[in-house]
Amino acid sequence: MKYETVIGLEVHIEMATESKIFCSCSAKFGAEQNEHVCPACCGMPGMLPVVNRHVVDLGMNAGMMLNCHINRTTTFDKKSYYYPDLPSSYQTTQWFAPVAVNGTVTIETANGKKDIRIKQIHMEEDAGKLVHDDWTDTTLVDFNRTSVPLIEIVSQPDLSSAEEVVAYLERLRSLLRFAKVSECRMEQGSMRCDVNLSVRPEGSDKLGVRTEMKNMNSLSAIVRAIEYETARHIDALENGTEELVQETRRWDDIKGKSFAMRNKETAGDYRYFPDPNVMPVVIDDAWYDSIKASLPEFPEVKRARYIDAYGLSEYDADMLTQSRALCDCFEAAYAECKNAKEAANWLISDCMNILNKSQKTADQLTLDGKALGELILLVLDGKVGRGNAKKILIAMFDEKLDPAKYAEEQGFIVSNDTGAIEAIVKTVVAADPKSVADYKNGKEKALMALFGKCMRELKGNCDPQVLQKLLKDTIDSL
Amino acid sequence: MQKETLNRLQKLNQLRLTDAEETNVLSFFAAREEEMNILNSIDTETVERMVHVMPIETVVREDKVIKSFTREQLQAGAPETTDGYWQVPRLVE
Amino acid sequence: MKLYIAKNEGAVGKRIALDDMILTKDLPTAAGSRMLDGYMSLFDATVVEKAMAAGYAIDGKLNVGEFGIDLMGETSYYGAIATDGHLVSAAAAAIEDGATAVLSLDVNGAPRRAAAQSGTVCVKPTYGTVSRFGTVPAACSGECVAVTAGTAADCEALLDVVAGYDAKDGTSLPDALRGEAKPIRRVAVLTALTDGVDAETVARIEAAKAALSKNGIEVAKIDGGELIAARVAWNILMSAELCNNVSRYDGIKYGYRTPSYKTIDELYTNSRTEAFGAFLKTVILFGSETLSTDTYMKVYDQALRVRRVLVEYFKSLFETVDAVLLPACSTCAYEENVDPELAFTENLYTAPASVTGLPAVVFGGVQLIGDAFSDKALLQLADLCEKEGK
Repeated sequence: MKYETVIGLEVHIEMATESKIFCSCSAKFGAEQNEHVCPACCGMPGMLPVVNRHVVDLGMNAGMMLNCHINRTTTFDKKSYYYPDLPSSYQTTQWFAPVAVNGTVTIETANGKKDIRIKQIHMEEDAGKLVHDDWTDTTLVDFNRTSVPLIEIVSQPDLSSAEEVVAYLERLRSLLRFAKVSECRMEQGSMRCDVNLSVRPEGSDKLGVRTEMKNMNSLSAIVRAIEYETARHIDALENGTEELVQETRRWDDIKGKSFAMRNKETAGDYRYFPDPNVMPVVIDDAWYDSIKASLPEFPEVKRARYIDAYGLSEYDADMLTQSRALCDCFEAAYAECKNAKEAANWLISDCMNILNKSQKTADQLTLDGKALGELILLVLDGKVGRGNAKKILIAMFDEKLDPAKYAEEQGFIVSNDTGAIEAIVKTVVAADPKSVADYKNGKEKALMALFGKCMRELKGNCDPQVLQKLLKDTIDSL
Repeated sequence: MQKETLNRLQKLNQLRLTDAEETNVLSFFAAREEEMNILNSIDTETVERMVHVMPIETVVREDKVIKSFTREQLQAGAPETTDGYWQVPRLVE
Repeated sequence: MKLYIAKNEGAVGKRIALDDMILTKDLPTAAGSRMLDGYMSLFDATVVEKAMAAGYAIDGKLNVGEFGIDLMGETSYYGAIATDGHLVSAAAAAIEDGATAVLSLDVNGAPRRAAAQSGTVCVKPTYGTVSRFGTVPAACSGECVAVTAGTAADCEALLDVVAGYDAKDGTSLPDALRGEAKPIRRVAVLTALTDGVDAETVARIEAAKAALSKNGIEVAKIDGGELIAARVAWNILMSAELCNNVSRYDGIKYGYRTPSYKTIDELYTNSRTEAFGAFLKTVILFGSETLSTDTYMKVYDQALRVRRVLVEYFKSLFETVDAVLLPACSTCAYEENVDPELAFTENLYTAPASVTGLPAVVFGGVQLIGDAFSDKALLQLADLCEKEGK
């Protein structure tokens, strides 16, 4: 018999805010254990939650990017369970009126395009982190991540293969990075995914027994987990190897197997109720419109525009639309210099080189696009040599500066004083009769050597064409 | 109320009652069950629930970091810590 | 008898006492529970900061029933608040002892009931007008910081100091919403809630009616039987919120940890079982059950709907009268060892204001409930009646 897999995903994404969702602790990744903690996020009595406005901005933003309906009145609820990573023994989440509902995400695989329906997106607080210490047989608790804002994106069971799941997650990541909702870094845990999976005979309209898998921390682990779990389900159905039960399973990527998690008798009774301490958040038209207006173009729309309107190559357009930061910088630079090819080149080669050297990603680009445009203009107008322009660019990564002013301060402005250039040319030519003779005997390379010596003497501050002409004229007149 | 329900509630709330306490709880629940009649006699079919008694909404703060207390201060009253972590027995996953 | 769980012997000048639900960084706060025995908060409650900024010194922390639920204060880990076998008001004793006034968290009406019992004045303000930041949370949707004093004037003076918007409390009302207090001209006695009280309480109601009339207040009568449901709704909401709020006490971060555990579940269960009193456990289990998937809609959601019915009912009452008069308790004399379950029946008198967030003032052993923001008008009326009594 042939089987088909039915998959729905719950994707948790940590939002890119400065502070946590209900308290003012830092939400940044990577601090020492329990350094981003206050009495609220370690569950002490007396603190009261106050919602971070930017969390609602980003929740709405995500909802709009995924074509959801935004609930204009959105409320928070408490979900209770005991676990050491949950300091208040309740999580504040959205159960009754989540920020966004009923969306779609279009994915593309080898089989073509497909719409995946989004059931809802809700905002909630993250839990802390547990470190298991086998030596001392203890578990250590770190609350830095407690109360970091999350969105949970719940899809309908519209996915049917690991390939589609990967396409869906990559699409979510691309859209949410573009909208600056999150960096979506699986390796840092800022994007996590639970897979709800069942298997049924092909063509059947009845869903099979569903299991939920947790703890996959890379796309490849998700693929392995889905393949394993699908095979396990089919084996159980075909050969009766085991009885499938609805349960939560933990993926062990090293063993390549999923294991049933300790089944608590009480699991599932979360006793949701509306949080009396958090007032409803009402999204008025002005707020809604301002978020709507701030939405970026979808990456593929941008890509097409870069090719059609700016005349970029497909390669350049692909490279730029990898990252919202690159696109923003490119567009600002273009607005200033009106030369798309130059702007794209500077970003794709020079800027990416600088980022790579400091082990940063394109999303971490903070370069001022307008200033980059100004720098490009200085080069195109022949006011600064390319070599010196690259030095200026490196400086621009370290601090915000005015390229023209900086070029002047550093003595990078191309000189228009032909007398001075001629004097240097004469000195260089006089000092190297061998090269002059070689050139006269038809060796073009010799001229380049002389040109290089002159450029070095001039510290690069010379229009190459002017220098070339003066050099030729000087040699010809000998 | 069933004894079963009482057991489930104790587990759910991480509590353990003595037999005498269980008897008291059962009579307490019976009294509450009885007074539900008073609530059920009120027709609320068309009434919206009221979580917050005061008509304010959208209480939000700016996304700004404010450092509060040090880890040492926060852990001063902790039963057990190691190396800046709160400590509990090894969890079995 | 245990009156103070912590006393600041050095306090001089204008002194106030705090009940043990209000967090202070210089004195321990235990909320009447072994769970928090010796707990030191890292911060002061907003009301404490405001009082100290206005020149009040903190006299000490007064004993309360565990997490402020029971009305008589007998469920405290530190023992009952009693003298010679009679339950007394800790607040009144502190005032007797020289405190100007007392701040307490009114979760289920205990401070109002104690004021009625001891002949002091107590105001439970309009919900959201006094910050709850720094109070031990029990039943957040209705609890308020109450002020108790020997006179209405002392009550009002401290209320003025502690009231006001606080950005650290997301339910705090903007000051602009508060508006002018409308004077009270018509008061209705709630007869349905006066039935079945003892003779002494009846006499107090009659005395209050007389004092009101003498001050030119028109006194009417209405049945008010609708308000009997307030206690039932509040029992559900209070228990559910309490269950949720005390789930944070798990023996991990601070507070009591059992000496006997091997697994995490033993740590949780033993810590909570050993540190919580029997009555609190009962309330936790009841609250938990009201939120269970099977009962949520017909119990908890129904209580929330009835809350709206009650708010609407008061609104309709306040179209014809400015305040209602009712007892604060059915009888004022209690011996030790009462059944703590009285907290779920005797709150017949205190729950109407708790569940709706309306202000209530207890004076001369009776209670007035007024419209939102009438706190000061109610106190001024109490002041007039007090002078009448003298």
